[in-house]
Amino acid sequence: MSTSRRKFIVMTGAASLVPWLSVQATESEAAQAIKQIVGSSKIRTGRVELEIPPLVENGNSVVMKVSVESPMTENDFVRAIHVVAEGNPLPNVASFQLSHRAGRAVVTTRIRLNDSQRVWAIAQMSDGSFWQGYAATLVTLAACTEV
Amino acid sequence: MSKTSRTLVTMPATAKKNEIIDIRIIVQHDMETGFRHSEQGVRIARDIIRELVCTYNGVEVFRADLHPSIAANPMITFSTVAIESGTLEFMWKGDNDYASSTTSKITVT
Repeated sequence: MSTSRRKFIVMTGAASLVPWLSVQATESEAAQAIKQIVGSSKIRTGRVELEIPPLVENGNSVVMKVSVESPMTENDFVRAIHVVAEGNPLPNVASFQLSHRAGRAVVTTRIRLNDSQRVWAIAQMSDGSFWQGYAATLVTLAACTEV
Repeated sequence: MSKTSRTLVTMPATAKKNEIIDIRIIVQHDMETGFRHSEQGVRIARDIIRELVCTYNGVEVFRADLHPSIAANPMITFSTVAIESGTLEFMWKGDNDYASSTTSKITVT
C-alpha cells in the first residue's frame, strides 16, 4: 500500500511538470528549426546584426532589420538569411535568398511577435559557413491575442 | 481563378551603373496565421503569401520564403546593383492559389 502511495506522489509530481515542459517546447523548437537550416555545420557568432525595437507595444507589426557584414563580391557573398523567433507558435519567420548582385546584405521587413523573446538571424555565406546574431525584445501586446 | 491584390513598388527610375539601389515592396494581404479563432470558436484557416521572387531582366536576384510570423501587408526592403537598363519583375505566390506580380522599369546610365 505504501509503495502505491509513493508511486502516486511521483506520478502527480511528473504530471505537474508537463505544462511547464510544453511552455519550454517552443524554445527547443526554435533550436530544432535552426538545426534544420544549418544541418551538421557549425554556427559562429558574429557578422550578423538584427535590429528590433527593444520595447514593442504591438506585436502585430514589428519592424525588423537584419544586416550581415560581407563584401558582397562574386566570390564572397551572403547566400541566405534565415530569421527564427523563439517565442512564436511557429519558430520560422522568413528566409531570404540573396546573391552577390544584392550589393549589400541588408533586408528589412515587418514581423509578428507573440511574446517577449529573442529573435535569431542566421546567415549562410557563399563558402558554406554559418553566422548568427540575435536581438532580445519586450512585447507588451502579443500578436495572437487579438480576435 | 486565382486571387490577387494590390502591390506597391518603390525604387528609383534611373541609376548610375553599378550603383546599389534600394527597393521597397508592399503587397496587400491579411496574412491569416491559422492560429486565430472566430467568434464561434472555429479556427480560421491559414491563408498567407508563401513566396516572393524578384527577377532583373529575367535573372533571379532576390527570393524570400514567408511564414505566418510575417505581419499583414508584407513589406520587404532589399537592394540590388543596377547593372543594366531593363525591367525588374516581382512575383508573389501564396495559399489558395494566390498570385500577383508587377514590373518596374529602370534606366541605367
